[in-house]
Amino acid sequence: MAFISELTGRPVTDIDGTKIGVLKDLVARPLKDLRYPVVDAIVVQGKAGDRTLPYSELAALLSAAIPLKRSSKEIAEYQIQDDDIRLVADVLDKQILDTDGARVVRVNDIELVRVNGDVVVSNVDIGVRGILRRIGLDRLGRWTSSGSKDDAASRTISWEFVEPLTHDQSMRLKVPASKLADLHPSDIAEIISDLNRAEHSDLLNKLDIKQLADTLEEVEPDFQADLLEHFPDEKVADVLEEMSPDEATDYLAELPDDRRQGLLKLMEADEAEEVRELLRYDEDTAGGLMTTEYVAVTPDMTAGQAIEHLRKVGEEAELLYYVYVIDQEEHLLGVFSLSDLIVAQPDTPITYFMHKRVISVELGTHQDEIAHIVAKYNLIAVPVVDAEEHLHGIVTADDALDKVLPTAWKKRLPHFLGTHQ
Amino acid sequence: MNRVLEHLPTRWLSRPWVRSAIVLLSVFGPATITAMADNDAGGVATYSLAGATLGYPILFLLTIITVLLAITQEMGMRLTLVTRRGLGDLIREKYGVKVSIFIFAGLLIANLGTVTTEVSAIRTTSSILGIPPVPFTIGILIIAFLVITRGTYKITQSIMLLVSLVYLMYVIAAVKAHPDWRLALSNLIYPHGVMWTKQYLISYLVIGMGVLGTTITPWGQFFISSFAFDKKMEKDTLKYSQFETYLGAFWTDFFSFFMIVATAATLYANGVGLTSGEQAAQAIAPFAGQLASTLFAVGILAAAFMGLVVVPLSTAYAFSEFFGLSGSLDSDFQSSRTFYILFVVQLVVAALITQIRGVTLFQIALVTQTLNAMVLPLVFYYLLKLAGNRNIMGGHVNGRFQNNFTAIASFIIVIASVFTVIAVALGL
Repeated sequence: MAFISELTGRPVTDIDGTKIGVLKDLVARPLKDLRYPVVDAIVVQGKAGDRTLPYSELAALLSAAIPLKRSSKEIAEYQIQDDDIRLVADVLDKQILDTDGARVVRVNDIELVRVNGDVVVSNVDIGVRGILRRIGLDRLGRWTSSGSKDDAASRTISWEFVEPLTHDQSMRLKVPASKLADLHPSDIAEIISDLNRAEHSDLLNKLDIKQLADTLEEVEPDFQADLLEHFPDEKVADVLEEMSPDEATDYLAELPDDRRQGLLKLMEADEAEEVRELLRYDEDTAGGLMTTEYVAVTPDMTAGQAIEHLRKVGEEAELLYYVYVIDQEEHLLGVFSLSDLIVAQPDTPITYFMHKRVISVELGTHQDEIAHIVAKYNLIAVPVVDAEEHLHGIVTADDALDKVLPTAWKKRLPHFLGTHQ
Repeated sequence: MNRVLEHLPTRWLSRPWVRSAIVLLSVFGPATITAMADNDAGGVATYSLAGATLGYPILFLLTIITVLLAITQEMGMRLTLVTRRGLGDLIREKYGVKVSIFIFAGLLIANLGTVTTEVSAIRTTSSILGIPPVPFTIGILIIAFLVITRGTYKITQSIMLLVSLVYLMYVIAAVKAHPDWRLALSNLIYPHGVMWTKQYLISYLVIGMGVLGTTITPWGQFFISSFAFDKKMEKDTLKYSQFETYLGAFWTDFFSFFMIVATAATLYANGVGLTSGEQAAQAIAPFAGQLASTLFAVGILAAAFMGLVVVPLSTAYAFSEFFGLSGSLDSDFQSSRTFYILFVVQLVVAALITQIRGVTLFQIALVTQTLNAMVLPLVFYYLLKLAGNRNIMGGHVNGRFQNNFTAIASFIIVIASVFTVIAVALGL
C-alpha cells in the first residue's frame, strides 16, 4: 500500500543509475472487468520537460527510487488515451462524487495497492489525515487517530464509489455512469445543485430518460427549466412523458407559449392530453396540483379481481395506496386502501369493504385548504372531483404540503449573504 | 431578479413604474450589501483616523483604492460565475494543499484581527453608552452567535440597513461641517494642500496602508465569490454582474469619502488628534449636536455587529472551500462541528485580545488593516493567475488593463508593507 502523496517527487532512475527526473503523475486506466483502475504509465518531470513512460518499462514503482528496465532513450512515449485518468492532474485536490454517501467531496490523497504485479487505485482519502500526509505531518495524523478506528480524520472512499467530475473543459468523462443508477433521485438532485453548469449537463447526459425524469421531479421548476435547456426538444418531450403529469405541467407552465405547444406536439398524444387538461387549472388549486395517474376499479369487482387489475395498471400509477371505485361515467363511489384489499377474502365484492364517505376536494379548491384537509384527516392523497362528483385526479400529500410549507424550510439556511430572493 | 418578479402579484407587474423600481432595487440591493459589508467598525475607525490625522490628501489614495477594489472584486465575481467554484476551491485545485494552508493561515490571522477590531469597537461603545463593558461584550457576542446559527437573511439585511443609516449620518455631517469642497474634490485627483513633512509622509504611509486594508480585504475577495456562487451564469448576466460590482465599489468609497471629509473638516481642521471614540464622535457633532456621542456609538455598534457576523463566516466558508466540499454552503456544513469550533474560537480569541489593557480601538484597527493589506498581494497573486488563465476562463479571461493595474498595485503594496513595518519597528 502506498499513497500518491508519498510517491510524487521520488526520483526516477535510468538503467545506469542516473536520475532522469522525478515522479510527477500517475496515469491509470479503468478496465471493464475490474473495479479498480490500473496504473498504466507514469509522468516523469525532467530537466528537458515531462515524459510519459509506460508502467511496463518500470522495474519497480512502489520503491524509494523508481528504476527503469531499459535505457530511457529506447523507451517509446506512452500515448494517453481518452479514458485514462491522470491521478494528480485530474483527481487529486479535485471534487469527486461519492456515490456511496451521495455527496460531493474533495480528494486529499489517493491510495494505491499492488495486486499481482500491477498497481491499482484502491481508495481516495478525504479525511484530515490525507491533508496531514500531504504536508509531511503523517506522524501527527497517526498520533491523533490512534485512539479510535473510524474517526472522521481517517476517512477514505473505495474507488468503486468514486465518480470523477469534469474539471476542465478539455476533460470529459467517457465511462457510462452505472454507479449513478444506484442513487436515489433526490440524492442526484441534491448533488446536481452542488455542481456547476458544465458538470451538471455532463451528469444529466449520463442518466437515462427514467432517471432524468425522476431526478427532475425533485428540483424546483425554474431549475428544471435551466437543466433541460440544453437538451434537444425530442429528448425533453421524452422526459416529460416519463414524468408524472402534474410535474410535467408545472414545468411546462413556466415556458413561453410557443415552446410549450411545440413540446406538447412532440409528446405522445394521450400523455399530452393529460398535461393539456392540467394546464387549464390554476397552479395553486386542486386542478393544478393533481395528477391523473391514480388507480381506479369498477364496483362490480371482487377483491381478487381488484388485485389482479392493480398488478396490470399499478406500474403507471403515482400512488397505489388508495384505490378509487368509479362507475362507467367516472363518478366517485368509494375508496379503499391497499391494506383493506389485502386482508379481504379474494371473492369478497369490493363494495363490502370500500368506504363510501370519501373525503374529496373540488377542482377549484385552494392549495391551503387541501393541505389543511390532508393534515386533518391524515391522508396520503385526496381525490379531486367536479360539481357532479366526477373523479378527475388525486393530489398527493407531498404535493399538497410542498406548496404550503414556507420556502425557507425547504431551501434551508441562506447561503451566506449571497442569497437574495 | 426573476425570483423577485415571480413573487409579486401579476397585475402589479403590468404597471411600468413597478417594473423599473424592482430593476433599480435589484441593482442596488446586492451592490449595497457588498459595500456595507466592506465598511465595518474597523472601517469607520480607520477612515475617521485618516481624516482626522491627514486631512483631505488621503482622498487621493481613496480614488486609486476604489479602482483597485472594483477591478479585483469583479475578477473574483467573474471567476466564480464562469467556473462556479469559490476562490478557495480554485486555489486548492490548481495549487494543492500547501498553498491552501498558507493562504488560509494568512486569511485566518487577518480575519482574527478584524474580529478583534469589531469586539474592541463594541467595548468602545459600551464606555460611551455607559454600560459595563464585559457583560455588554459577552451579550453581543452571544447574539452574534445566535444570528449566525439561527438567523435569517432578513435579520442580516436589517442590520445592513441600520449600518447604511449610520453612513448617511456622515454624509449629512460632512455637508453641515461646511468643508472646503474644492479642496476635498481636487484631492481626489492629486494630493495637495498640506505641508509634506517627513512626519506627515510616514503617517500617510502607515494610515494609507490601513485605509487600503480596510477597504480591500482578503476576506472580501472570498466573500464576493461566495456571493457570486448562487448566481446563474449567462453571458448577459456577466455584464450585469460586472456593473453591479463596479457600483458596489463606488458605493463603498462614496461613504468612505464622506467619512473622511466629515472628520477632516472638523477634527483635522481644528487640530484635534484622534485617540478615543468620544473624539471620533465629534465628527458628527455639527449634525447631531448633543446626541453625537450616542449616535456614533449606536452606529459603530451596528457596524461592528455586522463585521462580527460576516467576517467569521467568511473564515469558516473559506475553510470549507479549501479543505472540505464546495457545495457545502448549506446546513450540512453550518451544523457541523468544524463550523462551530472555527466560529467560537475566533470570537473567544478576539474577546481575549481586547482584554489587554491600554490598547485602543484605533491601534487595533490600524494594525489589523495593515495586516489585511499585507495578505492582499498574496491573494491577488492567485486571483491574477486564475483569472488570467485561458484554460479556466475561456473567453472571459482578464484583460491587459486588469492584469497590469492589479500587478502594479500588488507590487506597490508589497513595498509599502515593507516600509510600514520598518517605520513602525523604528518607532518613527
